[in-house]
Amino acid sequence: MDTTVFVPVDDATGAAAPDATPAVRARALTKTYGRGQAQVHALDGVDVDFDAGRFTAIMGPSGSGKSTLMHLLAGLDSATSGQAFLGSTDVTALGDKALTRLRRDRVGFVFQQFNLLPMFTAEQNITLPVELAGGSVDRAWFDTLVTTLGLSQRLTHRPSELSGGQQQRVAIARALIAQPEVVFADEPTGNLDSRAGVEVLSFLRRSVRELGRTVIMVTHDPTAAAYADRVVLIADGRIAGEISDPTPEAVLAGLDALRSLEAPVAGTAADGGTRAGA
Amino acid sequence: MLRITLAQMRRSAGRLTAAGVAIVIGTAFVAATLLASGVITRMTYDSIAAQYGDADLVVGASEDAPLDVDALATTDGVAAVAPVTSTYAQLTDGARSVYQSVVPTADDRLMPLEVTEGGMPAGPDEIALPTDVAERLDVAVGDTVDVGRDVVGDDGSWQQVTETPTVVGLLDDPFGAYSQTGGAAVVDASTYTTWQTEARGEPAPVTEAAVVVADGADLSATRSALAGTIGGATSTDSSPWVVTTDERAAESAAELTDGQDLMFLVFVLTFAAIALVVAGLVIANTFQVLVAQRARTLALLRCVGADKAQVGRGVLVEAGILGLIASVAGVLLGTALGQAALWVAHAMDVPVPLPDTVTLTWQVVVIPVLVGTLVTVGAAVVPARVATRVAPLAALRPAASPSTSRRAGKVRPVLSLLAAVVGFALLGGGAALGTLGQEPTLGLLAGIAGGALSFVGVAVGAVFWLPKVAAAAGRLVGASGPTARLAAANTLRNPRRTATTSTALLIGVTLVAMMSTGAASARVSLTAALDEQFPVDVMVASTSWDADGAPAAIPADLRAELVAVDGVTAAVDVQDSVVAEPGGQRRLTAVDTGDARAVLNSPQRLDGLTEGTALVGSDVAGNLDDGDSLELTGPDGVVSLAVVLSDSASSSTFVTPADLARLDADVPASEVYLALDDDVDAVDAVGAIQDVVADSGESAQVTGIASQRAMFDQVIDTMLGIVLGLLAVAVVIALIGVANTLSLSVLERRRESATLRAIGLSRAQLRGMLAVEGLLIAGVGAVLGVVLGLVYGWAGAAAALGVMGDVTLSVPWRDVVLVLLVALLAGLVASVAPARTALKASPVEALATE
Repeated sequence: MDTTVFVPVDDATGAAAPDATPAVRARALTKTYGRGQAQVHALDGVDVDFDAGRFTAIMGPSGSGKSTLMHLLAGLDSATSGQAFLGSTDVTALGDKALTRLRRDRVGFVFQQFNLLPMFTAEQNITLPVELAGGSVDRAWFDTLVTTLGLSQRLTHRPSELSGGQQQRVAIARALIAQPEVVFADEPTGNLDSRAGVEVLSFLRRSVRELGRTVIMVTHDPTAAAYADRVVLIADGRIAGEISDPTPEAVLAGLDALRSLEAPVAGTAADGGTRAGA
Repeated sequence: MLRITLAQMRRSAGRLTAAGVAIVIGTAFVAATLLASGVITRMTYDSIAAQYGDADLVVGASEDAPLDVDALATTDGVAAVAPVTSTYAQLTDGARSVYQSVVPTADDRLMPLEVTEGGMPAGPDEIALPTDVAERLDVAVGDTVDVGRDVVGDDGSWQQVTETPTVVGLLDDPFGAYSQTGGAAVVDASTYTTWQTEARGEPAPVTEAAVVVADGADLSATRSALAGTIGGATSTDSSPWVVTTDERAAESAAELTDGQDLMFLVFVLTFAAIALVVAGLVIANTFQVLVAQRARTLALLRCVGADKAQVGRGVLVEAGILGLIASVAGVLLGTALGQAALWVAHAMDVPVPLPDTVTLTWQVVVIPVLVGTLVTVGAAVVPARVATRVAPLAALRPAASPSTSRRAGKVRPVLSLLAAVVGFALLGGGAALGTLGQEPTLGLLAGIAGGALSFVGVAVGAVFWLPKVAAAAGRLVGASGPTARLAAANTLRNPRRTATTSTALLIGVTLVAMMSTGAASARVSLTAALDEQFPVDVMVASTSWDADGAPAAIPADLRAELVAVDGVTAAVDVQDSVVAEPGGQRRLTAVDTGDARAVLNSPQRLDGLTEGTALVGSDVAGNLDDGDSLELTGPDGVVSLAVVLSDSASSSTFVTPADLARLDADVPASEVYLALDDDVDAVDAVGAIQDVVADSGESAQVTGIASQRAMFDQVIDTMLGIVLGLLAVAVVIALIGVANTLSLSVLERRRESATLRAIGLSRAQLRGMLAVEGLLIAGVGAVLGVVLGLVYGWAGAAAALGVMGDVTLSVPWRDVVLVLLVALLAGLVASVAPARTALKASPVEALATE
């Protein structure tokens, strides 16, 4: 696609569509592990915005810091410095109780390993977050989710009686049941065969397009990333660029470009505003 | 393979430790028991050895060919000889009386008793008493004491003679030489010989004598010389004999304790066995979980070439190492506890001579270690078999949550159900035999067999039925919210594990509940029986008679003093008289009904007694019937009374004082019955009453039923306390098991805990979830245990006590509530450490791939 663009780092924050309010923002977000010689910058002053109502993929090679970024944005891990905002809430400033409430009400998670509770049925798994929060399930929304995700016939099954794809769809329903502002998905297709993977990705995209949700997905699979509206590339703990309306080829090319940037002259290469993609 | 096993053990050290603690406690129990048994044997030996004083040799012979003490004394090398002998005499001072063992004076070296005040008796008018006996009789040095003993008269009949020697000394028994007979009084040796001669009508044969070897004389030479004197051997195989004191003491101790310490051992080791069975369940559970958690590692081992046997052996070796280490630690702990107990006893000045240190024999070390290791390995057999079933392929599958679900055989449910049904039927039959059939022995046997069988059925079948109970309980608590529902679902995901954990607790709690229920029922039933037999707390009966042989009245001032004694709440005068009835005589007891009702333990016994009636006990009812007219003739008139038959099996015929007065106007109130406040110490109160009587100088006998009953209560309480203490060990081990199971589950559910945290479970909710899990596991075991225990306790009481009359089934509420509280609290506490572990899991871990 012609519109697919590899945008240099310094433009990343401004790349959002002008009409969309950012659902999630990172400002100078930094995470370091260890001390002294052994110190590792997992994230090094990251500034990035994620728009509401869009499906964004965070991509990068192993150890690039993409998972760390997601953990910090979701309030699962504490930042060394900098801020992460969910809407107008500074997630990095919240205590455990507030974070728990935030995870209940405003954030949903989809895991690589599905992480369903084996002793509960699909329906019980889906409604669990609402119950933990002490709320009551919005039946209409539940029906919408179940229909959209094609789980109507599977509600009474336990996870062990479901295929991987079905389990992940239950997990997506669970992530969406509380109508969170953002759903974070961590390698949601990592444990699925390609057909089930496609299925899950389509559902994630449908939940954005048809149900108006915001999804941020971490993946290292260019094909998966291509389902997103936008791909944020990350390398060495920094935002290395982004691709709008990606295709697998564009993502691959972007990754290749990243690899070529992994050099002492990274700054210059980024300056060039390299066009990557077909 | 050993290297791999050790590496795995290191990795699972924490998980194995808790299981190891269960074995440590169990083996410490066994070791302490064996040590205690050793101490008892040793005490018996010391006490026997002490009887011989500082004797070097002991000479013995049979009654047919007794020893000649003079000949022994003149044998070369002999410094002193004393016959080893004792007799009994009745020591009395006023109203107090002691049946006391008496020994003769002897050479200082052969006298194990120490004079603490005064001196040893030197003539027929002197006696020395143990200090505590003198206290009990309330006599001091210089006082006299009545000594009653039996002598054979010229005509061969027995007579009691009473002498009144002076107390010249008070004695201590520092080595416990006479602790078995409650100390010994001492009389002059020649007086003693006279007593014995008078008691037999001829000189008493000396069958054993203690010998002191002279300074400088050779022990073995003297021994041979003595053997020559008596014409006997230097061993006790034949008679007569001469042996060293040590040999003799060891021999008698062995004879004496042979049965006793075996009984003690069997009794306590039964409880140790229960504790070890419970520990075994905890171990089995731990290894099952470990195997499940290691499924991937085991599969990997299979992939790289380990065969089934090696994998299984690895688990057993691990269990063996754990068992060995834990058992050795248990022996050390048990020994330390035993030694600590001795120190405490010494510090508290226990009146029994105890050894200073425990004696470690090879049995004390080897038996617990062997048993502990075998139990551990035995418990790991099933998990080892499960380990062999892990397919190499499992290593290649994605990490699935380990599942221990495996189909149970068909034999087990059928057999356990059969055992339970047959067992409970036998138990019911035993109870019926005891109550209806009046066959306590047969009933008890059937009850015990039925109880044991049904309990085995219940425990073995627990894996089938216990999860269902847990599910029902879970549904109950699940209604309270999502946290509880999560907890309930968690307890059910591993039915086998939950069942094993609860069963371990169930065993201990059932036995505790059974013992307290049995004891409570026994107490109530026996108290009722005692009330029947002894209608009042204290009876004071005059023992002086007037010229006609009729008992004298209790003087009014003594009666007033009795009523004033602390703890006495009511008193009733009792008149006894014998009057004529057609065809014989009848003993009448007259009491004022109002006063008597206040004194009697069961006032309804007097129901029906009014003026004009005679309340006739069933033992003396003959062919009298309710409403019959009983015509009685006394010195002052003839009275016709209407018969009221009493329900109680007593031999009294009660009438009112007014009716008795019409028969005989002059019957003295020769007895006073007293009632005691329930709250006072009956033994003290009866003692105080005895003192009042003794001080008054009146001759009256005090019979304290209350003190007997208090003693009886105390015996039950002590026995129950000991048994419950022993059983508590099993409960403690089971509670460790609950904590262990929870922590293992938590480790296994790390990712899941993290997921729950990620989707909005708060810290408090996670803690709450684990607390409810702990409560469920412990609560189900405890509640079922209490219910089973009640059934067993009642059935046992019915079978054993049915013959004593109506068995009152009582629920020991205090104990029941205590057991439940302890179990629930422990379940709660057991969840604290696992909750901390679970909370360490950051939500990030839910996202981790491995």
